[in-house]
This record gives sequence, structure tokens and C-alpha cells, in this order.
Amino acid sequence: MAVTADAVRDALDSVTDPELDEPITDLDYIETLKVSERGDVDLAFALPTAWCSPTFAWMMATDARDAVSALNGVEEVRIELLDHMHADEVTRGVNEGLSFETAFDTADGEVASTRETLDRKARLARQYDAMEALDDSGLNDRQIADLRRGDVTFEEGRATIDLDGLYVELDARPLERYLEKARTVGVVADDGHRLFASRDEEPLSPDDVPQAHRASRLAKTNMGGQGGVCASLHAARNPELAGD
Amino acid sequence: MLQHQGEDIFVVDGHLHAWDATEENIIHEGGEQFIQCFYDYHTGFTPEERQWTLDEFRTYSDEKLLSDVFGTGDVDVGIFQPTYLKEFYEDGFNTIDDCGALADQYSDRLITNGRFDPREGEAGLEELERQAREYDIQGVKVYTAEWRGDSKGWRLDSDDAFEFLQKCVDLGVKNIHPHKGPTIRPLNRDAFDVADVDDAATSFPELNFVVEHVGLPRLDDFCWIGTQEPNVYGGLAVAAPMALDRPKKFREILGELLYWLGEDKVLFGSDYAIWEPDWVLDAVVNTEFTEEEKAEYGLEFDMETKKKVLGENAAELYDIDIEERKAALRDDEISDEFDTGAQYEGAAD
Repeated sequence: MAVTADAVRDALDSVTDPELDEPITDLDYIETLKVSERGDVDLAFALPTAWCSPTFAWMMATDARDAVSALNGVEEVRIELLDHMHADEVTRGVNEGLSFETAFDTADGEVASTRETLDRKARLARQYDAMEALDDSGLNDRQIADLRRGDVTFEEGRATIDLDGLYVELDARPLERYLEKARTVGVVADDGHRLFASRDEEPLSPDDVPQAHRASRLAKTNMGGQGGVCASLHAARNPELAGD
Repeated sequence: MLQHQGEDIFVVDGHLHAWDATEENIIHEGGEQFIQCFYDYHTGFTPEERQWTLDEFRTYSDEKLLSDVFGTGDVDVGIFQPTYLKEFYEDGFNTIDDCGALADQYSDRLITNGRFDPREGEAGLEELERQAREYDIQGVKVYTAEWRGDSKGWRLDSDDAFEFLQKCVDLGVKNIHPHKGPTIRPLNRDAFDVADVDDAATSFPELNFVVEHVGLPRLDDFCWIGTQEPNVYGGLAVAAPMALDRPKKFREILGELLYWLGEDKVLFGSDYAIWEPDWVLDAVVNTEFTEEEKAEYGLEFDMETKKKVLGENAAELYDIDIEERKAALRDDEISDEFDTGAQYEGAAD
């Protein structure tokens, strides 16, 4: 059976603007999304400025292609970047399956290291929400520092924290979001690993927790602040797309 | 001066431009894209009734600048930050000679910074000497992402840049303003990365580094450097207009800056003509942290801090004695023109 537009949109929720760590669906970047009866998907998207980093544009285009292609019932996927100074290179590169270095003859590096840097920042920013949630649930700095992956279980949107036989339950979302990035950057790989880490990804002592919490807040403020700049630019340049 | 809660605040606008992006001056498509991008920033953050047309925005007269900054704008002293972009604009976008002519004419009101580009080598060093000689500059704007030939940018911690920074020390040019703004070209190397400021600031403790646009979207890296380097400051241009448009986000950014860098290290800038100081200043000065934010950051944006951020910190870097300057401004040409002299009454002679 051919894929539905809703399923495609759901898949695109997993594609983020790497600088802002927000889904491109929430950021109103998608201009057109067409799904044919046969299962061909046409996606056109625009960014807040024609100058937005082509590397970031490339990541979003290729991530969108990969997320949609992985769905059952999808035939051909065509991605188009609109109104950008590197629209042609990105569009051609993503549809022809080229590497970044081939698509851009002036590129002086690769995408992987940029992606890694931004994933590390996103990990730190998401750590803020996770720590805040645990803080609100009454955990102290020592408990937050000592927490290991195996102490957390998820079920039906709730997270349960095992504090040596004492159980605390809270909304799963901040912890799940955090763990997704913590796994990506390798801070948390198995159940024995500590859940949280410093800005430099070192394990925390209880005394380190307040500083790590503030460094996480700063990372989140940065992404959120830049998100505000981008949203205002997007609204100015693409008023028909931006909901804000 | 800015009136706020019954007190006068002396305002130094640390970030002004006098640019020419008329179609006749544009020699590369990048020039048109650049001004279009600026214009998106303008319309994105400016209240609708205060927006300019694109034609008005391409260039503006000296009279309009003076009126917007010192007339309606409540600014007392302004600092020009030149941006050359000669690969994009025939005569440059915003050159020291354009700014310098105006600063010479209104020397109590306007300061022009110079600029350098280490890729210009010996000729660039000579040009820096000329700027110091002719305009007695105290600072330079440096634009590390500027294109030049095949190069799409340079770093402040390179050997070539260090030669220019040493020249600044020798010439008494002590304030270095690196533009660290949104990520644009060149491709995946990030020429607006703030890490190069760290080494430069450590190696040249006698210089001050005012990171413009507070490094957004690298506020986190920037604040981290700022806590370690006593000679690193943050310029609020681009963040400031968010005080009106997205006040909560502005307070978060301001809270982080005051927390990590401290109240002596943050400088106001409107980035005129992207935004007019008039409404930007109003929005910034009326910013108050909520009780929750005060507890979170452990500080306040009170009158004392506002005075520092809006004027005193920049005055310190540019050797402006505020009381003396008020006396000089009482009956200068600008005060006569805009009828603003009375506010300086009572200043020490």
C-alpha cells in the first residue's frame, strides 16, 4: 500500500534544524509536500535566509530524504531546497545521492564533524530540560550525579527512576529526548553509564552538578536565542510559511 | 540622554553604520544578497510602522543618520563599525573614510573605528597605520568571514592576524571588535567560530576584544571564553532588538551574559541602520527580569547595570569621561539642531 501524507509528515518530525535542534515541521520550513497515489514523495523546503549555512541545509535535505525513503510504501523521493544561494547544489546533490564534497566543489571539509559538534551542543541543551525535570521531581545533586542509564525505565509516556529502591515517576519526554542525543554522541551507551555529563562530557560529582546545570542552560539559551532570530527572519522572508 | 524612571542614562551606541548598498555600488550578486539579508533582519524585528522601504534602506543621508541616532534616538555618542566587503561593493559597503568624514565633523558625537584584514599583508599594515594617523582610531572592526579572492575567511589566532594585532598594540588601537554572527558562508568551515578569540585574547592581554552580536549562535562558546578571559566583552547588536520582539528570549540571553561575563562586560549597540536606536533603546531599558529569572541568574537588571550596559562600559573602553562629555554636548551643533541641549544642563564644566 502506498504511503500516506500523514506518515510522511510524522517521519519528517524526526528531521531537525541542526543548529536549533527543532524539527523542521515545527519550524515551518516545508513549503510543499506532495504524496502521489503510487507513493512518490515531493518535498520542497525553504530556510529563514538565503545565506543559511549550506552545510546545515545539506543535513536537513539528506536527513529528510533518508527519513522518508525508509518508510514502507514510498517509491521515489524528490527533495528541493528553495530560494537559497546554494539551492541548485543541494537539490541536485541530495537527489542524485552525491556526497557533500562532490556536490560542492568549494567545500573544504566534510559534514560529519559539523554534525558531531552540533549533536554535542544539542545533548548539552537537552540535558537542561532533563535535569530540570528531575530537580522538579525532588532529586538532589548527589542523586542526579549518580544516576545511571539502568536506573531509568520508560513505559507509556512515563519515566520511572529507581533510586536504590525508592521510585520516582515523571513525564518521559525530557529524558527520552535527552537520551536520544546522549546515545548519538556516545555519552550514554549502556545501562552502566552515568546519565549526565559535564560540558566536556566527563562524569559528574555531586559538586559539579550546579555548574553542569548552568552550562546546559546556557547551551539551551543559545539554541533558543538563535531560534528566535531565525523565526523572525523566516517570518520576514517567508510570511506565507511562518506561522509566527 | 535616555530618561528612565526619573534618571538620565548616558547612551553610547557601540554599533553604527553609514552604508551604501545602492544598485550602482553592487558589483557581485553577493552584494545584493547581503543587503537583502540585512533587510530581512530589519523587517523581521522592526515594528511595522517603523519599517523602511528597501530603497530607503539601501543608503541614507548623513542628515537622516544624525536625526535617527541623536534626534529621535536618545544616543549621546555613537561608534561606527566599518564593513568593507569590497568584493561585493565597488566603493565598499561602509568604509572608514565615509564614517571618518562624519566623525571628524562631529568629533564629540561620533567615533569611527578602523578595520584590518590580515590577508592584505604589508599594504594592510600600512593602511592600518594610515587609519590611526588620519582618524586617530581607538578600535577596529574585523570581519573574519569576509571573502577575498579565493579565501572565504580568516582566523584571529593566525600568525598573520597576530602581526596585525601587534600593530594595533604599537599604534595604541586597543579595542578589537570581531563580528561573530550567524553562520553563513563559507560552506562547512565556520568562519564565525568564536574559538579564535580565545587565543588572541590570551596572547594580547593589553587589547580588549568586543565580540559583536555576542557570538550568536555561539553564545555558549562565547560566554565560556568570556569567563576565562578578562579582556573579552560582548556587543549586544542583533540581540538588542529582540527585547521588543521576543522579550523572554532577550532576557535569557541578557541573563546569561550578565551571569557569565558580568555587568562590566556587556555593551549596547543598535546596529543602525538595521534598527533605529530609538525603539531598541526603549525596549532594552524597559527590560526587567521576573522574580523567577532573578533567582535563576542571581542578579538584576537594575538602574546601575542599565547605565553600565547602555553607556558606561563603552565609555570606559573609549576613554570618554561622561561628565566632561555632557558639558561639551550641551551646546554643540547636534544639540542645537535637535534641541536636546537642556538635558545636559547641570553637567560639570
